[in-house]
Formats: sequence, C-alpha cells, structure tokens
Amino acid sequence: MISKKALPRRTFLRGMGTAVALPFMDAMVPALASAKTAKPPVRMAFVYVPNGIIMQGWNPDYEGTLQELPRILKPLEPFRQDITLLGNLTHNTGRALLDGAGDHGRCCASYLTGVQPRKSVIDIKAGISFDQIVAKQVGAQNRFPSLELGMEDARQAGDCDSGYSCAYTNNLAWKSDTQPLPPVLDPRALFERLFGNGMATTPEARARENLYRRSILDFVSEDTHALESNLGPTDRRKLDEYLSSIREIERQIEKTEKDNAQIDPHMEKPYGIPADFAEHFKLMTDMMTVAFQSDLTRVITFLVTHEGTSRPYREIDIPDGHHPLTHHRNQPDLIEKVTQINSYHLRQFAAWIAKMKSTKEGDGSLLDNCMIVYGAGLSDGNRHLHEDLPTLIAGRGGNHFKSGRRIVYRKETPMCNLFLAMMDRMGVHVEHFGDSTGRLDVLDLT
Amino acid sequence: MQFPIAAKPPVGIVFDAAMRRIDEVLALAMLHGFDGKGQARIAAVCVSSGDLRAAQYCDAVRLFYASATTGLAAMFMHSLPVGLADPVRTGDAPMFQTVGQNTIKSIDDTADPATLIRNTLMAQNDGNAAVVLSGPATDLAHALDMYGVRDWIARKVRVLSVAETGLEADRSAADKVISGWPTPIVTVSRAIGEALPFPGESITRDFAYATPHPIADAYRAFQPMPYDAPSWAMAAMLYAVDPNDGYFKLTGSGNVRALSLDPEQKDRVIRAYIEMASAKPVPRKPRHPVDDKDKKKDEKKDVNNKPDPGK
Repeated sequence: MISKKALPRRTFLRGMGTAVALPFMDAMVPALASAKTAKPPVRMAFVYVPNGIIMQGWNPDYEGTLQELPRILKPLEPFRQDITLLGNLTHNTGRALLDGAGDHGRCCASYLTGVQPRKSVIDIKAGISFDQIVAKQVGAQNRFPSLELGMEDARQAGDCDSGYSCAYTNNLAWKSDTQPLPPVLDPRALFERLFGNGMATTPEARARENLYRRSILDFVSEDTHALESNLGPTDRRKLDEYLSSIREIERQIEKTEKDNAQIDPHMEKPYGIPADFAEHFKLMTDMMTVAFQSDLTRVITFLVTHEGTSRPYREIDIPDGHHPLTHHRNQPDLIEKVTQINSYHLRQFAAWIAKMKSTKEGDGSLLDNCMIVYGAGLSDGNRHLHEDLPTLIAGRGGNHFKSGRRIVYRKETPMCNLFLAMMDRMGVHVEHFGDSTGRLDVLDLT
Repeated sequence: MQFPIAAKPPVGIVFDAAMRRIDEVLALAMLHGFDGKGQARIAAVCVSSGDLRAAQYCDAVRLFYASATTGLAAMFMHSLPVGLADPVRTGDAPMFQTVGQNTIKSIDDTADPATLIRNTLMAQNDGNAAVVLSGPATDLAHALDMYGVRDWIARKVRVLSVAETGLEADRSAADKVISGWPTPIVTVSRAIGEALPFPGESITRDFAYATPHPIADAYRAFQPMPYDAPSWAMAAMLYAVDPNDGYFKLTGSGNVRALSLDPEQKDRVIRAYIEMASAKPVPRKPRHPVDDKDKKKDEKKDVNNKPDPGK
C-alpha cells in the first residue's frame, strides 16, 4: 500500500515577512503518477533589446539545422541545439502607417500588443499585450501572474520619440490599451517582491535590519529543517542548491548596495541598481531563474534597455550613445561598434541561458520547459525597418519545439502569428491577436 | 489613426496580376512611370499565378526603375516585397526566361498576397488607394476572407479596377469579389482592350534609352515582332490612377460599372500608355527615418538616462 502523500506544488518556506517558494521536486510528484502526468509547467519570457541589430551579424546564410552561428549569436554556440532562429517575422503596426517619425516609440509599443499605438505624449493608447492575456488566464495559479523587469529608465511621462510618450518606449507589457506595466529595475525591489512580504523597505530601514539578520533564509530556517527531514537525497541536494542560489543573489544585492554607497552617495541610479551592466543583467536574470524555478510566475518580460536609448557602453569601451551609433549610414567603424554592443547583450543573455540549462527540472532542464524569446522591435536600426525582426527562441516550450533550427517564413509574416503559437503552448487558445493571419505552422513540430 | 500630415500623397496602387500577358507587363511599367512622375505610388505588386519567375521579374523591374536613385536616397529607399500566390511554380513564360538582377531566390523572399495587401492598405490615406486586378481574383478573395481586411478595403480603397480578361481562371473567386467588394468596381471588357492596342513600334522608338530594358525585352520575347498588344490591364491601370481625367466613360449603374471607350479619346489614351510605360527611371529624394531636427534632439537628449526623481 502506498501511503506517502506528495508535497504540494505550492509549498512555501515561511518566516517573519518572508515566503520562499520551492522549486519543482521529486517529492511533488504523486507516488502513483508517471513522469508524463507530472510535467513541469511551461513558462515564457521576452528579452527585448532596443535600436535593432546589425542583421548581417545575426542572420545565418542558411536555413534548417543550425551550424556555425554568425558573429553576434556566437555566445549561444554551446546552446545551438536549444535555440530556434525565426526569420522574416514582421510588425506592420510598428511602421509609420501615416503617423510619420517615431519608429522607436511605435516598435516597442506594438512589440507585444500587435497594434499601432496612438501618437501622443499624453493621451496614450496601445492594446493589451499578449503576455498579459496569458498572465490573466494561467497566472491565477502563481503568486505573480507576470513579472515586468528592466534595467533602465522606467519613466512614464514626457516625449521620448517624435511625439510618442515615454510610456511607449519604456514598457513592453500592457495590462489594457491605456495601462502599461512599468518594469522593475532595482534588484533589491525585485528580491523583496519575490521573497518578502510586499512591504517597501527604505535603504535606512534595510541597513537597520541588516544589523540583526544575515539573510531571509534565516527567517525560514525552521521550515527548511522540517522540510529537509522529509526529503530524499536528490531533493535535499536540489533544495540546497536552490537556497544557495537565493543566498548568492542576496549577497550580490548587498554588495551592490555597499559599493553604490561607497562610490557616490548621490549617484543617479536608484540605491540597489548595480553600476555595472553585466552585474545588473546577471542579478535580474538570476532572479528570473528562481522565479521560474519556484513557479512564482510563468510569464516574464524583460526590457533590457528602453527603446531608442542613447546609453553609452563604456563597459566595452564604447563611449558613444547606442541610438546615434545605430544610424551608421553604412560606415564600417560605426557598424562595428553597434555589432559589439549587440554581441555584448548576447553574451549576457547566453550566460542566463547557461544557468537555465544547468538548472535541473523533471527529467530535463528548466530551459526545456521555457520559451524565452530574445528579440528587437527593429531589424535594421539605421533604416528603421520593421521586417525580418531579429527573433530567437531559447528552450523548447516543454520539449515541444524541435529546436536547433533556423526557420525562415515568408516576408511580411506577422510576428503576432508567433504569439498565437506561443499562446497555444501556454494553454491559452485565441483565434486572433493583433494583426495575426494564423499560427506559425512550423514551430510546433517535435 | 491618421496623424495630420501636410498634403495628401498621390493615390497608392495595389497591382494584382497573373503576369501571363504582355499588357500586364506594360501596366507594371505604367505604374512605375506614374510613380516616378508623382502621379501615383506603388503600394504593392502581387503575382496571382504563383509564377516565381514572374515575381523575380517584377522585382527586377523595381530595381531597374530604382537604378536612377543613388547615394543616401538609395540607402533609405524602402519597398515592400512582391506578393506571390501559393502554390508557387517556376513558370515557362518566354517573356520571363531572361530575368534581370533581382532579390528573390525562393518563395521566402516573397509575401503572401493577402497579407501584403492588408499591410499596405493600412499605410494609405483614407479613400486614397486603388486596386488594379488583372487575372484571377484569387488573391483578393483571400484578402476579403482575412480578419478585418474588408474594413480596411472599405476605408482605404476608392475603386477596384478590373481587367475582365483572366477573371474566368477562378470563377468562384471572381464571384466572391464582385459580390463582396465594399467599394465601387469598374470593369474593362475584352473589347476595350482590343480597341486600344499598344503600338509595338513604340518599343523600338521609346524604350531605346536603356539596353537591356526589362519591359522592351519582355515585349520582344512575348511573341514575334512586330505586333500591337491589347491593353486590358493598361486600361484598368490608367483609370485607377486618374478616373477623372476623361480617358473613359462609365456605363451601367450600381456598385459595378464598366468602362466604355470614347472614340475621341482613343489617341490620347494610347499616348498616355506610351508616355507612362516608357518613362525613364528618375532619381528619388533622400528620405531618412531620423531627420536633422530629431538627430539634434537625440544628441543632446539622453534625458532618458537620468533618473526619474519621482522614483
């Protein structure tokens, strides 16, 4: 007779003001359930980079099985079998369509909404983004229906592009046609959102707290010990690794706060935001890993930097602004600099993919159960083109996609066709979204 | 949403043709001629026969007319892909056996016609587009089936100008379009096209400015010279671009009317055919997505990199 009860998927380690969700563990699989019936959930994320990509460094000159990757995609070489490159996807609603200049505002606002945004600085209007449709339907089972994250400038007002509000360039997710969801930029704020009690904490209050505590894990140690005693060796190791990764994130945030305070107490960035781009990217994506791993959410959007950004990249010795560089007018030296920025972004992304792939889940990796789209709302930033948008999917959406391929669709194929296919994988069935004309038909092969 | 702009541009033309007859090639040349003279804009070109060579030819013709534009203007010149009906085949039409330089290698380099038509209509001012159909109405029937497209047609298209010759190839599509098209339709009968022949002598006289010339070469390859060509698609194109210029009269009533020939206008119509079909490529003005004002703003902008004091 089998009497052992499965550990509920929604088990939390609780302590004072803290609730730490758990990763998917063997103990959560009912004793009589087969591996097939206890499949981990499918998650999706969008990682958006601005100002287009140097496409000759992105597009391979072949279709089918991925072989040697082009220069910008090189960092993903170890994960060639885990990615799918999609060609010729288009966002027609990002084009001017009689609204004149403002491609940066439009391409970002239309990216996940599939509609042409209203050209306005004050009276904003786009559409509900498809991630929010998914979040609404599948997110009820998670602590956070969705997470909106970013690394730069979450301002919502002002003119950011030729008469388009900053709300268009600085948000990816839209809860309704007039309500964008600003991204969380500060790792500390995200950490406390994921593991805290939801109360905002000032730096001063945090400093006081730090005198008395080392980690949020201290608060949940009682629950942790109780749980560990009921786990098998594999789950114990998994739990240990998971809690260690949270502790590591916490350490990094504390280090950032300490460093920031030492560098310049009046620095422009919010208190917990690392000055170093790569460090910031890593912290945010480490927390995205934990959020997926512990099923805190199944939907994440990550606006790396805002659309049209003129951020310099001194980290890689490029003091020029990103956006002005992208208007390179085919000058080789400027193209080279933009390529280096594109590659730099991809290196950070590849490091995250490595982490996702090394995180075990079920019979495979966490990455296997995700669809992580990396892309941009413009292809050629010099000419502001909205076709053949750089788009790759990392992961297999629950081992559903046959990855390791480059698939080129017909020109003008709506990006929204991809969204419909992704919604299907997330269990949300919609007939039409944005300017879709159908579902991407090659994506769902196993 | 339409954002106010300074002036209404010339009419945007969607040209959907089987590209099996020489009058369709000449109509394509006329469209480029009108575009070059600022009397119309090429909104989209679709090949309904699925002939990959015909699509390659349309693209080669585009490049021929773009050849006069150089420098920055060429860098920022942008055009939509050719629409090509599926299933695709490699046709054997003699006029496309030698196709000039083009950017189409496979079907992936072309667009689904219905999607292309939808996308391009969205970019037109209200009531400032016209559709010229020559050949089967299959693409337009598909467009009518596509979500929301009927509304875009109703809003953007002022007329559908149809060369009847070729419609029979897909009778059900023709019936669907004739009955379901939301804006006025005019038809060009077989008799009209035959009564207004394009003079073959024009090929040696008016197209000699370039060698090779994609239009003249196709004309010579279509059938042994000399010959005059019936002008069904050309008449449909001429009416669509300028319905108020008195080239034709309309007969009938209701939503579907027919062009009729005014004998006094015959020479004028043929002169217009020749002038537009043989028009030389002209340089286009530079167009850059970021104008100087925006660039200056961008250089000193960087306000976006400053923290929001409210955060």
